[in-house]
Amino acid sequence: MRKYREIAKTYLKTQLAWRADVIFNMVFTVGRILFAFLLWRVIFAQKETVAGFTFHGMLSYYIISSFFTQLEMSHGISEEIAAEIRNGIFSKYIVIPVNVEGYFAAMELGVVLFYLFFDFAAAFIWIFLFGIEFAIIEDGLIIACALVMVLLGLFFMVQLNFFLGILTFKYEEISTFLMIKNNLAALVTGSIVPLALFPDTVVSFMRFLPFYYVTYLPSMLLTGRCADEAARGLAVLACWCVILQAAIGIAWRRYAKNYDGVGI
Amino acid sequence: MRKNIRVIKALIRLRFQNLMTFRIGFFGPFLVDGSLFVVQLMIFSAVYANVERIGSWGHGQMILYIGTFSLINAVNMVVYFFGISSIPWKVKSGEMDLYLTKPVSPLLRLSFERVNPGSIPLVLMSLVIIAYGVHKTGMEIGAGTVLSYLFWVGLMTLLYYDMEVMMRCVSFFLVSSAKMEQLEEACLELCMQLPGTVFYGVYKLIFCCVLPYGIMATVPVKSLVGECTPGTALHALIVTCVFTGITCALWKGGIRRYNSASS
Repeated sequence: MRKYREIAKTYLKTQLAWRADVIFNMVFTVGRILFAFLLWRVIFAQKETVAGFTFHGMLSYYIISSFFTQLEMSHGISEEIAAEIRNGIFSKYIVIPVNVEGYFAAMELGVVLFYLFFDFAAAFIWIFLFGIEFAIIEDGLIIACALVMVLLGLFFMVQLNFFLGILTFKYEEISTFLMIKNNLAALVTGSIVPLALFPDTVVSFMRFLPFYYVTYLPSMLLTGRCADEAARGLAVLACWCVILQAAIGIAWRRYAKNYDGVGI
Repeated sequence: MRKNIRVIKALIRLRFQNLMTFRIGFFGPFLVDGSLFVVQLMIFSAVYANVERIGSWGHGQMILYIGTFSLINAVNMVVYFFGISSIPWKVKSGEMDLYLTKPVSPLLRLSFERVNPGSIPLVLMSLVIIAYGVHKTGMEIGAGTVLSYLFWVGLMTLLYYDMEVMMRCVSFFLVSSAKMEQLEEACLELCMQLPGTVFYGVYKLIFCCVLPYGIMATVPVKSLVGECTPGTALHALIVTCVFTGITCALWKGGIRRYNSASS
């Protein structure tokens, strides 16, 4: 476990080298909030509530979901793995005495821990700047459930991106697919609009998918909605993590032997 | 002029030969941007299932907006995006030398040397979205309206081009233009989802004058649905002229400052 802690610590320190990135990362979190503010300001001028949300309830949802979305930086994992396999430099992970997936999970942990504080600060600034009457639940159990779900969701996304990354062993060029995945993920995780706006049948279907629980449900739980889904959400997400871990094991055993360390 | 057209033809022919070598990624840009605009359509379908109008625009107008943005973006992807986006790297690596020593305008060559026919289906998809939007609004469209719409789409494509070149010209003056590209991406992402009609106050100033991504698809749609006032038209014309002038000046200034490798 110590070696993974060291990896996380190293990546946490590495982030300090790109200080401008940290500031820009903070500033660009405003994009989603600004989108929500301008769009829903116009809509709520004509209506009191939309899909059960008030104006400030909606903006609180966006503040929380944008905070979680910003923390979810694992898409870099699949891009990095794909590029390194293609360039023949993936060997550096294979020759060190660590589990490669564990290495990337620890790396992600280090990066997330670093950005946690800054994203938190950014969320506070936007609440203040946009004059949002921030609504958050006070029930400790629900908050704990939401936080565990977020951690599980972040781990699931690391697994997913690791899985997609190692598919490069087999398919060689997956960058187009990764970009499409990013576009679709923005929709199904509810980071552009709350999934509650979609028809009931669509939402019911999405409940079977893991993406529903990555940012959408935790954000809804923290804004005081969908409390009855919390326990089921944790169970579904845990099942998906187990399924994906099995898929990673199979894909690694089957495809990693294709890697010859000289690039494609 | 005739020489320039011959150069453009030669560049397109060379690009086709190059693309045939790497066939796997041929339709990549179409699939990526196509999925992006399909996601937009789904999002606004969900929003309009809960509200009747966003400001003065109904669902039909919003579909027209998404289709128009997609069309401008598609033209950008087909013609100049891949060429223009390589400017920062060419400045950094000194590869710009090869463009300056040829008897043809470097910007013309950069704009047309990496045309992407794989994005042509994106143009067709945008036209389908626009046709669906027209059907949804239930409007009767005359030839004059179509011509005016095409004029504005052309003009806004020029504005889009100006912005793209401008953002990349920064690489002549600074070590890295990555943050400018990040800013461009953030503005495009925002304005792709929000029509110019929702901006007000300082946001209107920013997204309709300073970084005019907010007017790019809004003005053509306004002309199509008959909401384009003389004031809107004049504003769009002035903004396009001003930004074209700034782009020309920045490009010329940048080339003058260019010092070969490691500029």
